Order: sequence, then C-alpha cells, then structure tokens
Amino acid sequence: MSEKRKYKKRFCKYCESKVDFMDYKDVGALRFSLSERYKIMPRRLTGNCKRHQDMISVVIKRARAAALVPYTVTRKAVITQPFENLR
Amino acid sequence: MRNYENLVIVKPTLTAEEIQSSLKAIEEIITSNGGEIATTDSMGMRKLAYQIEKNERGYFHVIYYSVAPSAITEIERRFRLNEELLRFITIKYDSNREIKAWNTLVEKAQKKAAFQTKAEEVTTVEETPVVVATEETPAAEATRSN
Repeated sequence: MSEKRKYKKRFCKYCESKVDFMDYKDVGALRFSLSERYKIMPRRLTGNCKRHQDMISVVIKRARAAALVPYTVTRKAVITQPFENLR
Repeated sequence: MRNYENLVIVKPTLTAEEIQSSLKAIEEIITSNGGEIATTDSMGMRKLAYQIEKNERGYFHVIYYSVAPSAITEIERRFRLNEELLRFITIKYDSNREIKAWNTLVEKAQKKAAFQTKAEEVTTVEETPVVVATEETPAAEATRSN
C-alpha cells in the first residue's frame, strides 16, 4: 500500500537555469518534458512554471512537425533510442 | 525586415550532388524574394522520427535569413511546389527575446560552418544510418511475433 509517489512537486528547472529561449532542434533538451511515450509531461509532474510550460509545449510541437520527435509510439513502430540516433 | 528560420528536409533518395543543387535552388528562392541569408546550417542525413512519404531518413538543412514579412507566403508557396522537399518549417523570430536568440543561433551556426570547412578533408562519409536500418528489422519482427 505504501506506494511512493513517482513524482514530487518541484521547482521549475527552467526558471532555475534562467532559460529564456528554447530551440526546437536541440532534442536532448526537450527530453525532460517528454514522457516515455513522447507525450508532453504535465506541469503537475514536472513542476514547470506556466511560462516555461507554454514555451516547451510550443517547442515540442515544432520538433514533432520537423520529424525530430515522434508524435506517437506504438507497439509496431518502436523507436530504439531515438535521441541517440538524432544527435 | 524580419528574422526567420527555415528547416527543410530534402529527400534521401537523391545523390549528394542533387541534394546540394536542390539546396542551392531553395536558397535561390529566398534570395530572389528579397531575403538576406545570414547563415546556413546543414544537420546532415538523419533518421526521421516517423516515416514521411515512406522515407525513413532525410537530409536536414537550416537556413537563417531575414525578409519582409509579405514575402513569406510566396516563399512557402514555392517550397510547396518543390517535390524534392519532404517537409519545411518556417519560424518567425519577432520579439526582442527571440531576436536575441536568433542572433546567438546564427553565431553558433557560423562557428560550426567555419569548423566544418577546416575539418572537411578529415571527415569521411558516414555509413552509420545503413547499419541502423538493418538492425531495426529483426526487432520489429520480434515485437510482432510476441
């Protein structure tokens, strides 16, 4: 029963490192806000602030359109370490 | 004049010379519409995150330029007519913060280009994508059998 909460409410990582602009081509940086299935992680789990969450969601959507990040991951189309491949 | 960035993905089926000539044609489209190209950054042949027109790979090329905003529709129309392009993405850098970011991106790309011209003789043809493609098929079959 004593199931630990997987995520803890945290401070905004982007605020801490004072990110002012995110580049959609820098796929490694997007990894933090993407789930295993390449969904955009909700704010309540990552602890991002509203401003940076808005920025990252726009950037991830751009990267998806540019085929840098997949839209979906299905059982048929399994991607083996796409971040390593893309770099 | 406003700052823009264009990412174009060229078909992988073309030969290296054909890719270069098509990139030249793309840059020609921008300059003929009154654009000033700041720098270009070729990210090279990459694996796509998903298939586009049944292609697994694509040649990524980024162009940083500035044009009058009214010219963008014409540039995009010409891109859409080009059958050698798999995908293109236009990004506007408008606010002060974005313009600052654009300048740093341009600087970075210029440095990278200067570095590449130096090391041009050393770099050989990268054959890694071919290996990746062969590795993938047994994995896909394995998941299906499960």
